[in-house]
Amino acid sequence: MTNSNVKTARYWQTLLAGLWRENPTLRLLLGMCPTLAVTAAVKPALTMGCCVIFVLICSNIIVSLMRNLLKPHLRILMFTLTIAAFVTIADLLLKAFQPEMSETLGPYVPLIIVNCIIICRAEACASKNGLVISIIDAVGMGVGFTLTLCVLASIRELLATGAIFEIQILTLAKDGGWFVQWAAMGMPVGAFLTLGLMLGLVNIVTRKKS
Amino acid sequence: MQQSWLLIVASFCFGLLIAVTNAALSPKIRQNEINKRNRMVTILLPEAKDFILLDEPVEIKSLQGRIEKVEIYKAMSMAGECVGWSFEATGSGFADKIKLVIALDKNFESIAGINVLASNETPGFGDQIKYDYYRGQFKGAPAGELKLVTIGERGKIDSEIVAISGATISSEAVVEIVSNSVTQIKEQMRKKGIIGNDKQ
Amino acid sequence: MDTLNIVLMGFISVVLINNLVFTKFLGTCPYLGVSGRIDMAFGMGMAVTFVVTLSGTLTWMIDNWILMKLGLEVTRYVCFIVVIAGAVQLVEMYLRKFFPLLYESFGIFLPLITTNCVILGLCLFLSVWMVDNLLDAAVRSFGAGIGFTMAICIMAGIRENLNLADVPDCLKGAPITLITAGLLAMAFMGFAGMIR
Repeated sequence: MTNSNVKTARYWQTLLAGLWRENPTLRLLLGMCPTLAVTAAVKPALTMGCCVIFVLICSNIIVSLMRNLLKPHLRILMFTLTIAAFVTIADLLLKAFQPEMSETLGPYVPLIIVNCIIICRAEACASKNGLVISIIDAVGMGVGFTLTLCVLASIRELLATGAIFEIQILTLAKDGGWFVQWAAMGMPVGAFLTLGLMLGLVNIVTRKKS
Repeated sequence: MQQSWLLIVASFCFGLLIAVTNAALSPKIRQNEINKRNRMVTILLPEAKDFILLDEPVEIKSLQGRIEKVEIYKAMSMAGECVGWSFEATGSGFADKIKLVIALDKNFESIAGINVLASNETPGFGDQIKYDYYRGQFKGAPAGELKLVTIGERGKIDSEIVAISGATISSEAVVEIVSNSVTQIKEQMRKKGIIGNDKQ
Repeated sequence: MDTLNIVLMGFISVVLINNLVFTKFLGTCPYLGVSGRIDMAFGMGMAVTFVVTLSGTLTWMIDNWILMKLGLEVTRYVCFIVVIAGAVQLVEMYLRKFFPLLYESFGIFLPLITTNCVILGLCLFLSVWMVDNLLDAAVRSFGAGIGFTMAICIMAGIRENLNLADVPDCLKGAPITLITAGLLAMAFMGFAGMIR
């Protein structure tokens, strides 16, 4: 009885860790490149998040199944090969079912291969734990990453175009409203600044707690 | 090297997985590309139902001096009549490359319209090349040399295109791409006899 | 003369106008971690330049001369990453044998370069930019490395000075680095539209 309780508690802990306490982008500072690149609007951010979740789950499953066969020298190469294979599949799926998103995201989908999050989770978690924990960890990290991306993207899209997910919220000045677009938010400047300020905010919140 | 068997087996399995996925999805991917192009052109040539690719691509000299091969599509109506022509043209804009699809009427005498397939121009400024008030100036313009002007009447359809205020370079880029490709392709197609002064 | 022109334009385009760090967001992870001191930053930059020039040229050759001819584009990503990992190994072995002191100074950076977005990113961008000759590809790869080195050294210099400034507690570390990077990105925007 108590054994399964401990297990369930551990599963919950792993899941929630990825969402806040060990949020890959905000706390572990991994995977910055796609965070800056795709968050100009919410739709690409969501698509990228889903791709990362898919690749994370698949690669964690495979690595966890293989964990007893891996020897130190070839470890990284095996991880990279696994991740590259699944990213290729994700890219093909995206091209087939979401062609416009595939074009918007462009070369950032294959860049998931070198996304530090996936390799780090394979190394830190999947190669040392069983199948269920690995899957839960992948889901937690993936969802945490996606949520962060979406929050960042909402801020940038709202300020740059007055819309979120292409639904107009603020009436633009050129359409007769009051809101003048902050064009800079859609460009690299906006990306760096928003992420920097968000990290600062997270630091304030976590420092207050402790 | 005893562990290399794992690497070989894994590579083989992954290779198989990728090959299977690719085989399953590539028809759909190809269809998506065709659909996108057709959708873009049908906006400009509403009667077009079918597109036939000309056998030989036309070679033109790009603005940078390189020789490029352009694929020309003949747009056919449901009745089987030619309603126009379309092709894609690329050139460099302010920030990055601009990719346009240009549609012409069946005699290659006037431009039916242009659409921006891909561009990375400054949002709020150069980005406006996608908007109707700029693109509309190309609709009905003569198929030949076009000139960019900074002041003029947008409503007047002729070979002068009024630039977007604050985005002269992006506007100029589009005008140059259209001018360069349309004049060269028209000449080449006349030489090949596909279009002529006595149009069938 | 024409080739020289194209090559020079390509180089300037990758170093200044389309700088991979400030406009394409590549190489941000090491950017945040390493740029503490200018000499370390320069060392990392040089290592990256070396590897990226080698990988960029190799992957371009494989992509254009083998993969596209055989219609195997779908294996592109796997091939690229294997080539990059191999190139990094090669560089590591070569340095360890012939330049042991240099190898020591690189330390942990060398194996870490495999997961550096700049290298894979450049290989992918070479196909997005439709680069069609080998010299152009080689020059752009080299330019990408130089651009990255430049970005990381500027950042290291600013960071050295930031240590003496009065940064609010919550912004210390990664946040202020990102904000500075944003301001630098804005500065680099001034180069856009320089060449047509």
